[in-house]
Amino acid sequence: MTDTLSNLFLGFTVALSPDVLLFAVVGCIIGTLVGMLPGVGPLAGISLLLPVTFGLNPTTAIVLLAGIYYGAMYGGSTTSILMRIPGEAASVMTCIDGYAMTQRGRGGPALAIAAIGSFIAGTVSVVGLMLLAPPLAAVALRFGPPEYFALLTLGLLVLAFLTGGSMPKSLAMAALGLFLGTIGIDLMSGFFRFQYGLIELGDGIGIVPVAVGLFGISEILLTAGQETPPQVQKPKLRDLPPSREELRAAMGPVGRGTVLGFLIGIVPGSAHVISSFVSYALERRLSRHPERFGKGAVEGVAGPESANNAAACGSFVPMLSLGVPSGPIPAVMLAALMVHGIAPGPLLMQQQPELFWGFIASMYVGNLVLLILNLPLVGLFVNLLRIPYAYLYPAILVFCVLGVYSVNNSVIDVWIMTVMGALGYVLRKFDFEVAPIVLGLVLSPMLETALRQSLAMSSGSYAIFIDRPIAVGMLAVAAALFLVSFLPALKRGAGWRRTIGLET
Amino acid sequence: MSHFRKFMWAVAAASMLLVPAAAPAQDAYPSRPITMIVPFPPGGVADQSGRPVAAALEKILKQPVVVTNRPGAGGAVGMAAAANAKPDGYTILMALSSISIIPEADKLFGRQPAYQMSQLAPVALVTADPTVLVVSADSPWKTVEDFVEDAKKRPGEISFSSSGVYGTLHMAMEMFAHAADIKLRHVPFSGGGPALTALLGNHVQALASGPGPVIPHIKAGKLRALASWGEKRLDALPDVPTFKELGYKDVEFYIWSGVFVPAGTPEPVMKVLRDAMRQVVEDPEFKSAMEKLQTPVVYMDAPEFQKFWDRDAAMLAAAVQRVGRIEEKKQ
Repeated sequence: MTDTLSNLFLGFTVALSPDVLLFAVVGCIIGTLVGMLPGVGPLAGISLLLPVTFGLNPTTAIVLLAGIYYGAMYGGSTTSILMRIPGEAASVMTCIDGYAMTQRGRGGPALAIAAIGSFIAGTVSVVGLMLLAPPLAAVALRFGPPEYFALLTLGLLVLAFLTGGSMPKSLAMAALGLFLGTIGIDLMSGFFRFQYGLIELGDGIGIVPVAVGLFGISEILLTAGQETPPQVQKPKLRDLPPSREELRAAMGPVGRGTVLGFLIGIVPGSAHVISSFVSYALERRLSRHPERFGKGAVEGVAGPESANNAAACGSFVPMLSLGVPSGPIPAVMLAALMVHGIAPGPLLMQQQPELFWGFIASMYVGNLVLLILNLPLVGLFVNLLRIPYAYLYPAILVFCVLGVYSVNNSVIDVWIMTVMGALGYVLRKFDFEVAPIVLGLVLSPMLETALRQSLAMSSGSYAIFIDRPIAVGMLAVAAALFLVSFLPALKRGAGWRRTIGLET
Repeated sequence: MSHFRKFMWAVAAASMLLVPAAAPAQDAYPSRPITMIVPFPPGGVADQSGRPVAAALEKILKQPVVVTNRPGAGGAVGMAAAANAKPDGYTILMALSSISIIPEADKLFGRQPAYQMSQLAPVALVTADPTVLVVSADSPWKTVEDFVEDAKKRPGEISFSSSGVYGTLHMAMEMFAHAADIKLRHVPFSGGGPALTALLGNHVQALASGPGPVIPHIKAGKLRALASWGEKRLDALPDVPTFKELGYKDVEFYIWSGVFVPAGTPEPVMKVLRDAMRQVVEDPEFKSAMEKLQTPVVYMDAPEFQKFWDRDAAMLAAAVQRVGRIEEKKQ
């Protein structure tokens, strides 16, 4: 413990030295701006700006990248809340209740709560990262394909709690998402599936163009289709800070989201994106008024946003303590370290204490900088809504196209976004919820790969899921959850068709 | 109506931002910025060697060299984009060994190839790193001999991870397994990183990997290197024998990176680029960048590189053929 404290002191002397601090602030600002560009989330932001750091020393480079990362996460929630455009898969759930809050004139509080929730989640997770990294990392490595499959199965069950509308419609949308996720090269055999001669579809359909299309573009189309143009909002200063009730309602979700996100984040792989979905579903399930979700529930913003940030932080656990690239973003960060001649690995903490502890300390600093930066900016951002729709929407469309194109420099991605925009418009006209499509698309490739990798490991024997304690434990929880969700239906006998929405 | 008009004005105004500046007239090459396509995401091996090359080229050619990442389909998207670009020297490609695998795999599945190797002409080889066979430090195998003996006793039971089916790491392992006449169980992952994570977590028992990512784990005592695919031992791992030393004379494999241009690029342009690449590898900043990445620079000029590439491509083609179509095999 005293070791940790003295190390942390070392870290803060690094993080608070003027040049490092400057880079942390610059990173946060750049990140916020990048994150505001629709479609460009933290991963794209970091990847695009990675080359910029090549000329810096390793500590400032990693601090700058971490700043960009956090900044982009904060910035991404801004467009989700104000314009219903998710910067990445993880902010899809924020779009739903965040944007609903904006429409009710509570955009300012939604932004503030997202910022505060992210700050708390970020800070608490860094404490977790600092104190628990080595033991947790050892656990994280025990997550192989079978455990991963079990975890994702749990994620799939979350679908049932995701939306308040009709269950068959939600499941149909989830099935569509799962199907879209099967497009692309089959990882196990190298076979192209459903690519129709377009090699760009080889890596499958990107989540960002789908999310931006389904949420953002469809919203613009729906607004354009209204008989009378919507009133331009004139946010007042006193409406900016969240009310006491809103803050109180947010606290529980922030706490649960933080723990949940951190735990999911530690698992190597891309599973951290499901943390915001799981958190949303959890809050909706726990809420005494689940019907408020989707119509601007504070909990629906606070939970996912916190989970998302905590997961991001959790994913640094295996990266820093073992040097394994535990997800796409840590992989880019590791690459940045390698460019500077630092071999990331289990010895990083001992060999580069200044870098490690400087990085940890800069995460505290970065979170604080972002909170200070973002709370006053809430007023400025909310005022974007004053722009008449005739100017605002075309500008958003242009930025959507730019943002989606710039991620992979791919025109096909822009087309996917366009098609998904049209599809989202039609589906929403018919009262289908689009969030399950995104969750399906996120889950399906991971779930399939994990299942088939597990079977490759066991040479086709399903016993591998029973032999491994973590996997069998999680699958048992999943089975229990599945049964529990049917209990009320069974009890109520004949009325069950109505309760699950088959007859309304 | 006025709404619609306002909308159109705004669209027009916004799209003005997107119109690129008109290109200047053609002069002696290079007279305008050059695009370097990296067919992988930022931070990958190709990107890490591509960017220092681009930076050095910029100084030598006195024109900006812009790195554009065009990831997708294991590199096929970016390589096809380069293969079909105008052969004027303003589009160059930073590619990896996988450039020879993709057309072979396309052939295997009888699909329209994304590009043909003949559509690309090599300019210079930049790096070549032999792969290393690593196992967990807790495993019973101390030498390749132990490993092969055990694998022969229980065919198809020792598993290895790879960066993906037909990926470079898969091909390296396939070459060794073929030469040693053993059967291993293959668990593909998407990328070298997750493959390494699986080995560290003991979910698989072996991995062929580039030296960079595994050396820290070997030094930390988590992994053990049994052999390398190089022609000679690695400087960083002087105690690890090569497969050649151990009597597997055809087992040689490198993860290499090199610069290509679209075939049909005029000879004078080629000459400028080849001369420039010769200077790039001598550039001190470039050298120090590659040293930091622990990636040895192995330079070859176009004719030599072409020979190297032909041999490598033939070897890889044979390996792809041996693996065959996955789903046709009974596990």
